[in-house]
Amino acid sequence: MIWQFDLILLTLVVIFALISLRVKDLMGASIVFGAYSFLMCLIWAGMGAVDVAFTEAAVGAGVSTVFMIATIYNTGRMIKPRPQDMSFKLLMMLVVVITGAFLLTAVNDFPEWGDPYSPVNDHVAAYYLTHSMSDTAVPNVVTSVLADYRSFDTMFETAVVFVALIGIYGIIRRRRKQDDSDSDTDALPPYDPSESLIIRQASRMMVPFMQIFALYVVAHGHHSPGGGFQGGVILGASLILYSMSYNLPTLFKKMTEKWIILLSAIGVLIFSGVGVICMMLGSNFLDYSVLSQILPATDSVMARSHAMLIVEIGVAFTVMCAMVGIYTSLASNGRFDKGL
Amino acid sequence: MSILDWIAVLFLFAGSFFFLGTAIGLLRFPDFYTRTHAAGKGDTLSSFLILAACMCYAISHSHDGLGTVLLVLKLLFIANFIGIGSPTATHAIMDAGYETGVTHWHKDKAK
Repeated sequence: MIWQFDLILLTLVVIFALISLRVKDLMGASIVFGAYSFLMCLIWAGMGAVDVAFTEAAVGAGVSTVFMIATIYNTGRMIKPRPQDMSFKLLMMLVVVITGAFLLTAVNDFPEWGDPYSPVNDHVAAYYLTHSMSDTAVPNVVTSVLADYRSFDTMFETAVVFVALIGIYGIIRRRRKQDDSDSDTDALPPYDPSESLIIRQASRMMVPFMQIFALYVVAHGHHSPGGGFQGGVILGASLILYSMSYNLPTLFKKMTEKWIILLSAIGVLIFSGVGVICMMLGSNFLDYSVLSQILPATDSVMARSHAMLIVEIGVAFTVMCAMVGIYTSLASNGRFDKGL
Repeated sequence: MSILDWIAVLFLFAGSFFFLGTAIGLLRFPDFYTRTHAAGKGDTLSSFLILAACMCYAISHSHDGLGTVLLVLKLLFIANFIGIGSPTATHAIMDAGYETGVTHWHKDKAK
């Protein structure tokens, strides 16, 4: 860490956050927000949290910007100023200032950055760092903590991603019969990028490589930064790129709505199914070491390593389908026939 | 410093120079099309130059044979993706602007 570099990055982050709040054009605001996420990604990478940086780059700077633009496409591009009385704004400012003051008083109680005696570092972290290799044969401690030691948390995170998809479907999915009154978009002028041969060919060249790279990220998460979440987001992004450069019906030919929901549920099922199998073999939920009884040619250490891969694949399924499902429902305004 | 290091420094300076040109062009050109043109071309070229500098640095500073080759290959892949992605994105933005009727700049219209 070079502190000058960090200072520049943190200053820029604050500036970008303020800009994205101030800009009246929502399209510009979401682009600035993407740049903000990318700077955060650089800060994570500088702190050594490469896995977090990877996720931030894929989710924050990549896919969430696309989600916001898809939302703008169906709502409206400009902020319409709402007449509000001044006293309400002053009240809100008072609330924010008081909350901020409380938060700032808590800053003093934080331990120093990287303090070896802070509560985070002297509890279980040392055990994970020293025993990850001998317990699970996984050199990347982030993966072993995420998918083995703390897999209960990760299972419910996956379930949360699944629930988010279901929630968005439940809110904006519409039946095709009753949609005669929804050409109400005052958003972007109609422009169809799928008419451009250049964009089509470029995406045809990029999408397969993106998918292979995503599979590599999923499978190689044991040894390098990456894992189910990052790989799933990249897979989802490749499908989103495909549907943007052609159009939505082309994507639905490859991957129908039914499969999107089904595969995202299957992802959660794989994760929790591994846990249930562990219980059936007479151990605790998600205690992978007993899987050596059914996985061929593995001892109890390698069983944990292999089970992590299975679990990460489940996570990747869920995350990929959540990304594609959220994008398609936002871009087509819940109709799933055409859009963006 | 070996020769490769000096080449890397040269590439870095050239890349920074073209990045500077991109930024100036983005700010100073008169209309949408010329600005996008500056962003697309300068950005791609300077990314290439900086990646080339990274490759030279990697070759001269790491000594495990296969690892260096893999590192350089990864950088080449990144260069390949920038080479495909950045001009296509520029094209997409320009095409969208053209289709939706952004007007050109003319010399006699200039203020």
